[in-house]
Amino acid sequence: MSYDILLLLIVLVPVLLSTTLPAVAKFSVSIRNFAALLLMLVPMVFLCILLPEVISGNTVKYVFEFPLGINFILQADIFATFTALASVLVSTVILIYSFEYIKHYENQNEYYFIVVLFLGSMMGIIFSANLIFIYIFWEMTALASWRLIGFFREKEYVRRANKAFLLTAAGALFMLVGFLIIAETAGSFDLDIIANAGITGGIVDLAIIFILIGIFTKSATFPLHSWLADAGIAPSPVTALLHAAVLVKIGVYVYGRLFSFVIIPSDSLRTAILVVIAVSAFVSGGIAFVEKDIKRVIAFSTISQLAFIFLGFVSGGKVAFAGAMLFILIHGLAKAGLFLCAGIIEHKVHTKDLDKMGGLLKYMPFTAVAFACCALSVMGIPPFAGFFSKFLVIIGSVMDGNVFTGFAFIICAAFTVLYIVRLFTKIFLGEERGDFKLLPKEKVFSPMVFSVIILAVLSLGFGLFFGDIFTIANLAANQMITI
Amino acid sequence: MSFSLAVLIPLFLVLFFNLPFYRISGKIAVFIASLFCIVQAFSFFLPVNATCPAVQNLVSYFMLDFQCDGISRLMLLTSAIVAFASILVLYAMEDSDRKQFNFVNLILLSLAGMNGLFFVRDIFSVYVFIEVIAATSYILIAINKDKNALEASFKYLVMSSVATVMMLSSIAILFLVAGGTDFVTVSNMYQQYGGNSLVTAAVVLFIVGLFIKGGVMPFHGWLPDSYLAAPAPVSVYLAGMVTKTTGIYTLIRLFYSVFGFNTAIQSILLIFASISIVLGAFAAINQNNFKRMLAYSSISQVGYIVLGFGAGTTFGVAAAIFHLFNHSVFKSLLFVNSAALEKQVNVSDMSEMGGLASKMPVTSTTSVIAFLSTAGIPPLSGFWSKLMIILALWTADLKVYAVIAILASILTMTYFLIMQKKVFFGRLKEGFENVKEAPLAITFVSILLCAITVVVGLLFPFVLNGLINSAVSF
Repeated sequence: MSYDILLLLIVLVPVLLSTTLPAVAKFSVSIRNFAALLLMLVPMVFLCILLPEVISGNTVKYVFEFPLGINFILQADIFATFTALASVLVSTVILIYSFEYIKHYENQNEYYFIVVLFLGSMMGIIFSANLIFIYIFWEMTALASWRLIGFFREKEYVRRANKAFLLTAAGALFMLVGFLIIAETAGSFDLDIIANAGITGGIVDLAIIFILIGIFTKSATFPLHSWLADAGIAPSPVTALLHAAVLVKIGVYVYGRLFSFVIIPSDSLRTAILVVIAVSAFVSGGIAFVEKDIKRVIAFSTISQLAFIFLGFVSGGKVAFAGAMLFILIHGLAKAGLFLCAGIIEHKVHTKDLDKMGGLLKYMPFTAVAFACCALSVMGIPPFAGFFSKFLVIIGSVMDGNVFTGFAFIICAAFTVLYIVRLFTKIFLGEERGDFKLLPKEKVFSPMVFSVIILAVLSLGFGLFFGDIFTIANLAANQMITI
Repeated sequence: MSFSLAVLIPLFLVLFFNLPFYRISGKIAVFIASLFCIVQAFSFFLPVNATCPAVQNLVSYFMLDFQCDGISRLMLLTSAIVAFASILVLYAMEDSDRKQFNFVNLILLSLAGMNGLFFVRDIFSVYVFIEVIAATSYILIAINKDKNALEASFKYLVMSSVATVMMLSSIAILFLVAGGTDFVTVSNMYQQYGGNSLVTAAVVLFIVGLFIKGGVMPFHGWLPDSYLAAPAPVSVYLAGMVTKTTGIYTLIRLFYSVFGFNTAIQSILLIFASISIVLGAFAAINQNNFKRMLAYSSISQVGYIVLGFGAGTTFGVAAAIFHLFNHSVFKSLLFVNSAALEKQVNVSDMSEMGGLASKMPVTSTTSVIAFLSTAGIPPLSGFWSKLMIILALWTADLKVYAVIAILASILTMTYFLIMQKKVFFGRLKEGFENVKEAPLAITFVSILLCAITVVVGLLFPFVLNGLINSAVSF
């Protein structure tokens, strides 16, 4: 099979075949679960086949001409393939986790259908090289998150799901306005042509601002972040998927894709963006320090960490870019781990209130260790992978001349350490503020605990073998930034 | 000859049903009428751009020449789909054989008028066919003879008569100046005397008349009442087809084939369209009644159609026609959903429903698809037509209106999210434990319309080349 067909299948297999999952469930629930897993593994295998090809420097491209210049173009370079692989990896672990987590609830058919559809749309965003198709897949992910956040169907939950949908979809509409301006200036929706046109000027900056509204809503950046923490009422695998691993990464990814090479923002705009993300990092870090709901703390931490990824892409240099790209993978793994651990704790203790936990280390040792590993990675403590990516992002931005921002983000990193240590202490250490004596002994080989352990091991493993993935990231940065 | 069949067959069927020697049961009438709709849908594959010197030139002034172009063909398909849907809903909803029979007769009469409207190329004949449709609609709305229905029907009658007077006076003026009423004569006259204030006044009168017929804000007063009071199958037909045909299709036809565009007229269209879009959506947000909400949503979507061809380019016309087709499909679908709710739940206040998705999976899923398509969420059909409208406005350098069109989608999403939250998405309310899915006829129609929405969306490039491009080449 040629590579371009492979690329097409990576997007189409999950998007189209996900619709069959509810039908499969008519025969057997376990076959449906297996089929859902298969629909994630197929893109993963294809991506692994694709990776050596793109690393060797070739770009795989699939083109299908549409009328009106809305061409369906999929394009795989190292950056795209790497990010896609990271998303699929995390999503697959989350899917395995949900086999156990979700099995007692209603609407499972919809859940698996939407999760796979969501992954497919994510692949679509990552590989699309046409603005309109980026928008199309972008809205599809908003739709998926709407159904997933409202999974429990309680009134309040549905309200928050609506909020998330409205905010992100509205942001996307602003983005569409930006895309139209870009297309008019450059004469096409195709990224290649826009890149060659080399457009600049006030009107382009206006377009970038419109697009940024979309990106900031999706990637939950202050002041458009409020849906993210509210959406924490969704089931834990969903929050992990949406908040940690995949959904919020869409925004930063598209930033990296569009504004690193294709459209270059002016210097003043870049400074403004740096200020916004620095504020976002500080504010959300501060909120994370005072929140009492375990999932809200992690959600605000996500907002704060996303700013680091933005920092890497905004800085514009190769090192920062490579760092940001690795940050997507590493933060995805670690943050998914934290959310999934929170899910385990919530399942056992039946509360999300930090004040009602404490001393849980004794009752769930494996979860605690996994939580600790992921937490260390998020904090950025060596030798966990999080350290390297955070270091690269900050050092990269300083190398690009943003010394003050780099300094601000170092303080932010210290913030991260503070609130995560507080979180860990409140949950696992200290006196028991609840009746935990009757909790059953924790088993390692349940899908839930097993998947968080995988995430913890990966967080450590990528740290130990950081040199290898950095080589890939470096190649990607060289490919993207040719100045 | 073939086009006149589209008018003659329904007329003949009505006659045949009502011959005095025997009685035809409502079921048979339903069967024959739906068969006719299916056949009509296939007539879409007839050759285009053919002229057919039909019936006779009744009076030498009023030519009843039938002409078929791509737009007529597409409209023929649309009316077949919507009529089919409403007939099936009728079959599921109405138990009385007599009522079924009466309804089918009226629908067929209305279809005859509609199909005629798609083919005629003469402004007076346009008026005649509009009146045929309107007359049947008055009866259809009031068919149950209850107080609200009669009131709504009367309201529609009054408003419609005002529109009629406007259109007739406009036609009279145009006839006076041009000396004929067929499109070519009027068009030639308009090119010559377009700047004349009397002619402009006539055109504006005509537009306003059609705005009333199409329920464009602020001439929409009759529309929510009649949608609400009409029996379920009638509101499917009314919302899906009647207002769109008599009002909007005619508007498009007049500007596409007769008047052409100029900036003054364009700005009228654009301003009223924007008002409709925004205010209609705001009004829809405030509604608590399912059908009323849909009615306001209809007003808002009609605004999009008018906005599309207000761009004044052939691309805009293509976008408008495409959106009209899509809107007919998904709005009918939503009204079919409301019919299903009316039949199974028998509550019309949305706040009293809740969590019905678990009991009515087909209705709920199809309503989600219809809502997403209306709100313009990709990859459904509504997204593409909306995108085309936006692109048409953008390329015509009407960027402000394009931005209004884009951002008003937020409002569309809002009211539909509220609807989903109140009706389907959520916990099942008490008292609805025994609700069952709607009968097969209704679910079948829902799935059919839903499939059209999805397939048109997914196969957009082919649809655009095959369907829209042949209707309006741009």
